[in-house]
Amino acid sequence: MRAFNAELSKLFSLPGIWLAFLIGAFAPAVFTALDSIAEKEEIIAGVSTRLSEVGYIGLSFGVQGVIILGVLAVSSEYLTESSESGGGQQITTSLTVVPSRLHFLLAKAGAVTVISILLCIVAIMTTVSATHLILGEYAPAFEWSRLIGAVCYWTFTALLAFGITVLTKNGIIPLAVLMINSSVVSFSVLLSKITKLAFYLPDRAGLDMFMFTSDKFHTPSTGGLVMFAWVAVFFIVAAIVFHRRDVAS
Amino acid sequence: MSVSSGRKITQILGAELDKLVTLPLIWLTLIGTFILNLVLAAAFTSAGLQGAAGTQSILNIGLASMGYLQAGFIILGILATCSEYTGGQIRTTLTTIPWRGFQLSMKHLALAIITIPVAFIIVASGVLYALIMMRDTAVGFEIDTMIKTLVGATGYLTLTTLLSAAIGALLRRTTPALVILLGYYFVVSPLTRDFQPKYFPDTAGSYMYMPPSSDEINVLTPMQGTGILMLWTLIFITAAIVFYRKRDA
Amino acid sequence: MLTINNLVKHRGTQEILSGISFKARPGRVTGFLGPNGAGKSSTLRILLGLDRATSGSALINGKRFAELHHPLATIGAALDGFGAHRMRTGRAHLRWIARAAGLSRSRVEEVLEIVGLTNAAGKRFGNYSLGMGRRLGMAAALLGDPKILVLDEPVNGLDPQGIRWIRTFLRERAASGNTVLLSSHLMGELAETVDDVVIINRGKIVADGTLEEVIGNHSTLEEAFFALTSENAGDVI
Repeated sequence: MRAFNAELSKLFSLPGIWLAFLIGAFAPAVFTALDSIAEKEEIIAGVSTRLSEVGYIGLSFGVQGVIILGVLAVSSEYLTESSESGGGQQITTSLTVVPSRLHFLLAKAGAVTVISILLCIVAIMTTVSATHLILGEYAPAFEWSRLIGAVCYWTFTALLAFGITVLTKNGIIPLAVLMINSSVVSFSVLLSKITKLAFYLPDRAGLDMFMFTSDKFHTPSTGGLVMFAWVAVFFIVAAIVFHRRDVAS
Repeated sequence: MSVSSGRKITQILGAELDKLVTLPLIWLTLIGTFILNLVLAAAFTSAGLQGAAGTQSILNIGLASMGYLQAGFIILGILATCSEYTGGQIRTTLTTIPWRGFQLSMKHLALAIITIPVAFIIVASGVLYALIMMRDTAVGFEIDTMIKTLVGATGYLTLTTLLSAAIGALLRRTTPALVILLGYYFVVSPLTRDFQPKYFPDTAGSYMYMPPSSDEINVLTPMQGTGILMLWTLIFITAAIVFYRKRDA
Repeated sequence: MLTINNLVKHRGTQEILSGISFKARPGRVTGFLGPNGAGKSSTLRILLGLDRATSGSALINGKRFAELHHPLATIGAALDGFGAHRMRTGRAHLRWIARAAGLSRSRVEEVLEIVGLTNAAGKRFGNYSLGMGRRLGMAAALLGDPKILVLDEPVNGLDPQGIRWIRTFLRERAASGNTVLLSSHLMGELAETVDDVVIINRGKIVADGTLEEVIGNHSTLEEAFFALTSENAGDVI
């Protein structure tokens, strides 16, 4: 528990984390607002085919915020870019404070999970308010089950980013890959045009928890399970690698 | 500025080139981008073959990966300037080369020297792959259109790299620079394409290699696109130099 | 010759340096002393053109750093921290510096030999120990064979052989007419190396003179240092 508190305070004292909060909390609302404005006429006329997506599409892009969170939580332990610090790595300090590496990793993952959940709840609140503000009475109702799906999607994505960064130790690659993949030009969307297996990639499966689009492949619960399996696999591999490797290498 | 001799220019340019080529991350990025591009070219080609065979031009398919490809070059640009701030290398740089505006300009020049051939090879390899795989089915094309397009794509990637380097120099930290650039190029820009004018760097720049389509009005010519993107790049490089000269290292 | 003239530096609302002046003369080793946060590094950073002074000047042979034609051949500096990228090898680090100053690659091997890093030159800087990092910093400072050396905490992290080597090396440099300015916290070490002493505290110079003058009636340099710096602290509070 103390390790968990320490991880929380470490995260909150990172300057980059505020960028993650800003993007996570407000970007979905902004996207939703833009989308709602564009779709407003069709929705009022009752001919919109995308009513069920309004709001959720913002949440599916806003996941960028927690990707940054998951990556920074780990990469900040390894990278120092201050001109004064002579290449010191925080990880050395961290592991002398919490000697058990598994505890350290669990505490960190716990902190990332808690912040992701809170961030997603904030994002849902801002997004729902944005749709109500713009669409008024035409705003779609938000179902609890789908919203919970969105929270799970955010949390799993954050943990995935976390696990991958433990493996790479460098934030650039996971950040680039995950950010692009959760955008409109996602790799997995491209791959899913070639092979059905791509629907088992974590983000495609995870999106099925709350995005009810025409190319839906899984039910929400199987989608969630598939994504959770990915998270579990990455986390176990990360834990094993982290346990075995020398800190300094 | 007490620098006049051409000898000094070549010395500093040489030093900046040395710095870039001795950084393993730069090579990893370039090799990674090359491999990724071939994988994507294969994916697009196979998607193209499965689709309406013979109707798509090889150039379109070979260049379909440009959207992803630019990520590698954005990372390259950011790495080139932000790596100065790792381990306080900037102090060594400035005590060796105290002419700041000059030094940063040379860094951009060195970066361009490395980027141009690499970008050309990567772009050409994608088109070549599509050419080999689809030579039986695809419609013919003219060789000078192809060369023009390849040059345009190379120019686009080079200018994007320089733009990213300038933003990296402004922000001095890898993660925020990466988040902002990837966020713009992959999330904000594609989502707001309907709202935004054609004068933003990525949209304007895309006319450098996009085959002219007749169904759009107000399209820019490749030359106009080049000019606008170049202007953006120069503005950001100038801003970076102004700040670089003013602030404490 | 280094001339610091009425240097003032503000950072935000804080005054880091409040009008300091001193000289470091050729043929002498000048020790620059002060507690943590007294303004030593800020002074050296301004001298090397890394930070801008709010007012006043820090001149090298009468010129500002950025006006020097051959900075590396005029003044060699090893500041606190390492100033090298973790992923580069030690040799690659020195080579780009040499390239920028128009020096030959054989000079790189020479300075690696001088600081005793020849065997570790192919290793990535991130794997260097503290002492090896300091040696690489020294190598970079010596690359242009400059007449002036500015070293921030040069003995920090060095092993006993390294400390002795630095001491004799700096004495030799000064004896052949070069200027050496070094900052340190290690009084005993400093007292054996320097000719002149400048003590800074809270952004002000509190003592400036030869070693004998500064020690004055105190038994050691350390005693003098504490007397001077705590006296000053008493004034402010």
